[in-house]
Amino acid sequence: MATDVTTDASSGATPDPAARVTAPGGKKNAPDLGLGRLYLRRFLRNRLAVVGVVIFVLLVLFSAFGSLFTSYAYSDADFAALTQPPSAAHWFGTNQGGNDVYASAVHGLQRSLAIAVSVSVLTVVVAAVIGSSAAYFGGRVEKATLAVIHFLLVVPSFLILALVSHRLAGDWRVLIVVLTVFGWMSTARVIWSVSTSLRERDYVTAAEFMGISAPRIILRHIIPNLGSLLIVNLTLGVVATVLSETALSFLGFGVQTPDVSLGTMLADGAGTITSAPWLFAFPAGLVVLLTVSMTFVGDGLRDALDPTSVTGAAGGRR
Amino acid sequence: MTLTTLAATPAPTDATPVLSVRDLRITFPSEAGPVEAVRGVDFDLLPGRTLGIVGESGSGKSATAMAVMGLLPPSAELRGQVLLGGRDLIGLGDKELSALRGSSIGMVFQDPLSALTPIFSVGRLLSDALRVHQDLTKRAAWEQAVELLDLVGIPDPRGRAKSFPHEFSGGMRQRVVIAMAIANKPSVLVADEPTTALDVTVQAQILDVLRLAQQETGAGLVLITHDLGVVAGHADDIAVMYAGRFVERADVDELFRRPTMPYTARLLAAVPTVDSGVHRPLVPIGGEPPALVDLPGGCPFASRCAVAQDACRADEPALREITGHGHVACLRADEIADGTLDPAGDTGPDDGPGGSGPEATGEVVLRVEDLVKTFPVTKGALLKRRVGTLHAVNRVSFELRAGETLGLVGESGSGKTTTLLEVLRLKRPEGGRIEVAGTDIGTVDSAARVRELRQDVQIVMQDPLGALNPRLPVFQLLAEPLQAIGRDRESIRSRVHELLALVGLDASVSGRFPAALSGGQRQRVGIARALATEPKLLALDEPLSALDVSVQAGVINLLARLKRELGLAYLVVAHDLAVVRYISDRIAVMYLGHIVETGDTESIFSDPRHPYTRALLSAIPVPDPQRERARERVVLQGEQPSATQPPAGCVFVDRCPLYRLADEEVRGRCRTERPEPTAVAGRPGHQYACHAV
Amino acid sequence: MVRHVIRKAAGWLLMIVVATNATYFLASWFLDPRSNFKELRPVRTEEQIDRALAPYNLNPQEPLLHRWWDWFTSVVFHFDWGKSPTGVSVNGEIGYRALISGELVIIATILSVVIGVTLAVYTASRQYGWADRISQAVSIAVFNIPTSVAALAVVFVAIWLNQNAGLHFLYVAGENSPGVEGLFPTIGDRLLHLILPTLSLTLMGYVGYHLTQRSLLLDTINADFVRTAQATGLTRSKAIRRHALRAALIPTATSVAFSIPAMFTGAVITETIFGWNGMGRYFIQTISKNDVHGTVATAAFAAALTAIGAILADIATVFLDPRVRVN
Repeated sequence: MATDVTTDASSGATPDPAARVTAPGGKKNAPDLGLGRLYLRRFLRNRLAVVGVVIFVLLVLFSAFGSLFTSYAYSDADFAALTQPPSAAHWFGTNQGGNDVYASAVHGLQRSLAIAVSVSVLTVVVAAVIGSSAAYFGGRVEKATLAVIHFLLVVPSFLILALVSHRLAGDWRVLIVVLTVFGWMSTARVIWSVSTSLRERDYVTAAEFMGISAPRIILRHIIPNLGSLLIVNLTLGVVATVLSETALSFLGFGVQTPDVSLGTMLADGAGTITSAPWLFAFPAGLVVLLTVSMTFVGDGLRDALDPTSVTGAAGGRR
Repeated sequence: MTLTTLAATPAPTDATPVLSVRDLRITFPSEAGPVEAVRGVDFDLLPGRTLGIVGESGSGKSATAMAVMGLLPPSAELRGQVLLGGRDLIGLGDKELSALRGSSIGMVFQDPLSALTPIFSVGRLLSDALRVHQDLTKRAAWEQAVELLDLVGIPDPRGRAKSFPHEFSGGMRQRVVIAMAIANKPSVLVADEPTTALDVTVQAQILDVLRLAQQETGAGLVLITHDLGVVAGHADDIAVMYAGRFVERADVDELFRRPTMPYTARLLAAVPTVDSGVHRPLVPIGGEPPALVDLPGGCPFASRCAVAQDACRADEPALREITGHGHVACLRADEIADGTLDPAGDTGPDDGPGGSGPEATGEVVLRVEDLVKTFPVTKGALLKRRVGTLHAVNRVSFELRAGETLGLVGESGSGKTTTLLEVLRLKRPEGGRIEVAGTDIGTVDSAARVRELRQDVQIVMQDPLGALNPRLPVFQLLAEPLQAIGRDRESIRSRVHELLALVGLDASVSGRFPAALSGGQRQRVGIARALATEPKLLALDEPLSALDVSVQAGVINLLARLKRELGLAYLVVAHDLAVVRYISDRIAVMYLGHIVETGDTESIFSDPRHPYTRALLSAIPVPDPQRERARERVVLQGEQPSATQPPAGCVFVDRCPLYRLADEEVRGRCRTERPEPTAVAGRPGHQYACHAV
Repeated sequence: MVRHVIRKAAGWLLMIVVATNATYFLASWFLDPRSNFKELRPVRTEEQIDRALAPYNLNPQEPLLHRWWDWFTSVVFHFDWGKSPTGVSVNGEIGYRALISGELVIIATILSVVIGVTLAVYTASRQYGWADRISQAVSIAVFNIPTSVAALAVVFVAIWLNQNAGLHFLYVAGENSPGVEGLFPTIGDRLLHLILPTLSLTLMGYVGYHLTQRSLLLDTINADFVRTAQATGLTRSKAIRRHALRAALIPTATSVAFSIPAMFTGAVITETIFGWNGMGRYFIQTISKNDVHGTVATAAFAAALTAIGAILADIATVFLDPRVRVN
C-alpha cells in the first residue's frame, strides 16, 4: 500500500539524533535567543539560501520595475526590427513579430511570478486544511480523502489539467484556479502523513478533553505545528508551479496569446533555437534563476526550521 | 524462578581490569556553544564485576557508554583514554574498532523496539552477529543462534528464530538484543538503560537474563541506569554521575549505607520506595541540573546543595578518596562521612507528606460499575474483516470520593489507561455505567450538559512536554480551557495568574514557550491547566514517569497539597507501585482488563493477597542493597498474554505461581471459572479475586 | 505472495476502470467536437453538425449517459475505443503509438530508478564529501530546469556533437528513419532513435529518486538498528549496506507508481520536441481536435502504465521486505 511510504519515512525522522546522545544545554540555551532570532541565524549561515533570497528579490524587483527601463511595451510590435539579436535598442533582441524580448520577459516574469506565488499559497492553504482535517477526523473522512488524493495522484493530473485548461484557460487567473484545483494532492498527502503523528500528540488529546472544538483544534494545535513543513512546501510549490506552468504553456494549454508568460516565451523560442537562440535563452535563464533561487531558499528554510528532518518535504516535490 | 543470591563474589585483588577509562572527556557542538557532556571520567572494570553508573537525564552517562563502544557521532570530540585489555580505543579507526565491537565489547541498548533491523529474522540477525567475528558456516551459525535464543529464555527457540522482530514483545526483543551482545563472548558488556522501556515484571526477568549472560561470559558489566533500585540489586560498585562527572564512586553497600556526596544523599531521599515500613516523606531537590555549556566554575551542584559553602562555588572539587567511603567529589565529604554533617541540611519537606489517610468521606465524585470496553481486531488492508475482539476492560467497578486518591496499577496492556480514557470521554460506555458527580453519563445527551460535565473532569498527562502545544506560550495554554467554557478576557487573565501561583510558578513564566521551561515547571503548567475549570476529579495518567527523580518528589508533594486545599479527587494511573504508594489512598491492581485486587494502600502493601499483586510488588527493585538481596522475589514466568483471547477462567492462570502449586480441584476452577471478588476479613474495602489463596 | 500480488493487481485494474470512465465524462464536458465545424466553409447548421457527429457516438443531442454506455460496452466487449470526430478509428491510431511510448516511458523509468538510487546510495554514505556535493548540486540544478529546456539542451548538444565529432547515430527527430528494411536494421534504427528521448526523460526522472532516496537513506542511517549492527562488529559502511539500505529502499519501491504520471507528462513534452508520433503527441493532437475518444484512450494508456509500474513496485517490495512474504 502506498501509505507505507510516508509512515516509514516520517517515523525515521522523528527521533532527534542530538537528543539521543544526551546533549543537554542546547535546548536550555536556545530559547533565550528568541526562537525567531535563532531561526534567522541558522538561515543566514546557509550561504546558498542567502544567495537564493537575493536572487529572488532581484527577480521580483525586475518584474515590478523592469518596464521603467524600456520604452517598449510587451504588446508593441516594432515592424522595423523583426527577429533581431540583442542590441542597444532591444536589449534582449526581438521576436518574429517584432515584440521586444526584454519587455516581454519583464511582463512574462510578472505573469509567471503572480501565477506561481498565488498557486503556491492557495495550494498550501487547501492542502493544509484538507490534509490535517483528514488526519484529525480519521475513520471514513480520512479514507475517503485519501482515496480521492490517491486517485488524482495516479491519474496524470497533467492530463486533466490540459483537458480543463484547454477549454477555460487563456486567462491567467483561470490558470491559477485550475493549477490549484489539480495541484494540492501531493502536498496534502505529505501534510496528512505528518498530521497523523500530530493527531496522536498528547496536547491534541488534552485539548479534546478540555472540550475544545474540532476546527479550533485543527487551526490552533495541528496546523501551527506543521509550520516548517508548510513554509518549505510554499517555496517548493513556487518551483513546482513554475515548472507546471511552463510545461502547460509550452504545449499550448497555458497562458494564451496575446498574454505572455515565461512558458509561452519558451514555446515560441523553442522552434528557432538554432537560428535565434536569444528568444529561448533569456526566458529559459529567468525560469532557471527563479526555480533555483526558490529551491535554495526552501532548503535553507528547512535546515533552519527543522534541523532533524531530512525527508520532510522531499515527498512533496512535483 | 526465585533468586535470592547475588553474584557478589569479591573479585581477586590481582585481577587486571578488562576496561579502564581515564579522564574521558566528550564535547558535542551545539547552537549555544560546545556542550561538555562528559568532563573527566575515570573507572576500572574488573572481569565478572558490575559497575553501575547512575545519573539523571543529561548527566552524560549514555555518552560515556557510547564512547566506550566507539559509537559516538563523528561530530563529538573525544579526549582521554579508553583502555580495553591495555589497548587505547580512542583514536582508532572504524575498521579497528569494529574488530573489537561485538567480539570484545557487547552492548545492550535502551529501546528494544527500534534496536533490531525490522527486515531480518532474529535468527538471521544473530547468526550474522556470530559470523562477523567467527568463521562459521551458515548452518553452524544458525545452530548457535538457536542455542543463544534458548540461553536467553526464548521459548521454542528453533521455531522462533525464523520470526521477525515485530512479532516479538518488547521483553522478548530485549532478550534477543542481549543474545546478540553476548554472541561472541565479549569480555565487557555495556548495558544502557536496558530495562527502562519495559514493564516491571519483565524488567525483573531481563535483569536476571543479563546476570545470566554475565555469568555465562565472565564479562565485566557496565550497567547504566537512572533507577537506583536497579543498581542496588545488580551492581558491585556504583558511580553517581552529575553534570558530566562522577561525583561519588563507591562499593554498593557503602554507597547506600552512607551516601557521602550531598547529591547522592538527596537523590536517595527523593526516591519513593515500595518497602519502607513507614510513610517516609519525600524531600525534593530544589532547582535543576545545570546546562553543560559554559559551565561556571565551582561545584555544579552547589546551587542546589543545602550544605554548600563559599569555597564550593569557587573551585570544582576533585574526586578524592574518603576512607571507608570510596571516592567523593565534595569539599565537605569528611564531615558527612563521619556523621557530623547532615548532607540534606535542615531542609525539611516543603509540603506535607503524601497520603492523607483513609478519612476521605466526601461525596462520591466518580462511580464506575461493570465498565466494559472492547476493540475490534481487524485484518486485511483493503477490506477490513473482523477477526477477533480485544477485551481491553472487562467489568471494572470502583468508586472515588472527593478528597480521595485511587491508584489504578498494572502493566501495559492491563486496561488501566483505557479505563481512564473511558471516564474522560464522557460518552455512554459500551457496557456498564459511569457516574460523574452523581450524573450518569449514559443519560446525558445535550452537548451543553456534556460541556458542563467536562469542567468537572480534567486530565494531567504523562509527558509534560508532549502535552503542551510547543507553539503556544504558557498564558495561552492556561487560557485555552477557560476560553472553551466562554470566560471573558478579564476573568481569564486573573484566573491564569491565580493558577500559576497555585502550582508554585512565578508569574513571569506566562510569556514563555514550553521548550523554555524545565521538566518540573512543565508538569506544573500541565497541572495548572487541568485545574483551570475548577474540576472535582483529576485524572492523572502516569504523572511522574517522565520526570527525573530529583524533580518527581516536588510534584508529588504539590499534588498532595492541592488535594488537601481544593478537596480534589484523583484517579491515578501508573505502572510504578512505589510512586502510587506515595499519592494514593486506595489502590486497584489491574491485569488483562480486570481488577484483581483492591484495597487501602497500606493494606495492599502490607498484606497483598493476589499472586499477581505480590509478584508486582516484589518485582520493583528497592534502592537498598541489603534488603534488595535479602527479600524473597517472585519472578513471574512469561508475559501478559494478548487480551484477544482471554482465558475462560482466571485471566492470570497462565503465569500464576499459585496455580502450579494448587491441587487438581482448585486448578479446575482456575481454568473454568472467573474468580469473584472476595473480602479480606478485618480489612474493610480490601478485596481480591483468586481461587487459590 | 502470488495472492498478494494478484490482489494488488485487481485493485489497480479497478483504478484503471474508474480513472478511464472519469476521464470520459471530463472529456465530454470540456471538449466540444462541434467547434471543429465552426471554421468550416460553407457554414453548417447545428443539425448538420450533429448529424455528422452521430455515427461516431459524439452527437451532443444524445444524453451523455447514453453515449457513455455505448462507448463503455464497445470497449468492454470489442475493445473498440471509438472514433475521432472525423471518423478515424482510435484503435488504429494508438496501437503503434502505445508501443513506442510505452517503450520510452518504461525504459526511462527503469534507468531513472537505477541511476537515481545508485547515485543516492553512493553519495549518502559519503555525505558532504565532494562526490555528494557535486551530484547534489547537479541534481538540484536539473530538478529546477523545465523539461522543455532540458530536452532542447539535449537536442542542442546532440546537433553539436553530430556536427563537430562526426557522429551520425544521434537522431534528433522522429522515431525511425524512412527506407530501412529488414528485421535487424529496423530494430537497430529504432534503438538509435530511442537514445536521445530516453536520455532527456531519464535526466528528468532520475533527480527525484536521487534526492528522495538520499534523504531516506540519511534518515535510516541514524536508526537505532544500524547502531546495533555496528555494535555487533560491522563497520559503519557495512552496517549501512546490509541493514539500512534495504529498509530504505522499500519506500522508494512503493513510490515508483506515483512517479509514472510525471514520467508520462515528461514524455508528452519530449515527444513534442523530438517529433515522435507517440501517445504524448497524440494526446495533444486529440485535445486540440476535440477528440473525446482519443483523449480517453490516452488517459487509459497512462493509467495502465501507472498500474504496470505499481505492480512491478509491489513485486519489488515483496523481494525487499520479507515481512510481506510471511503475512
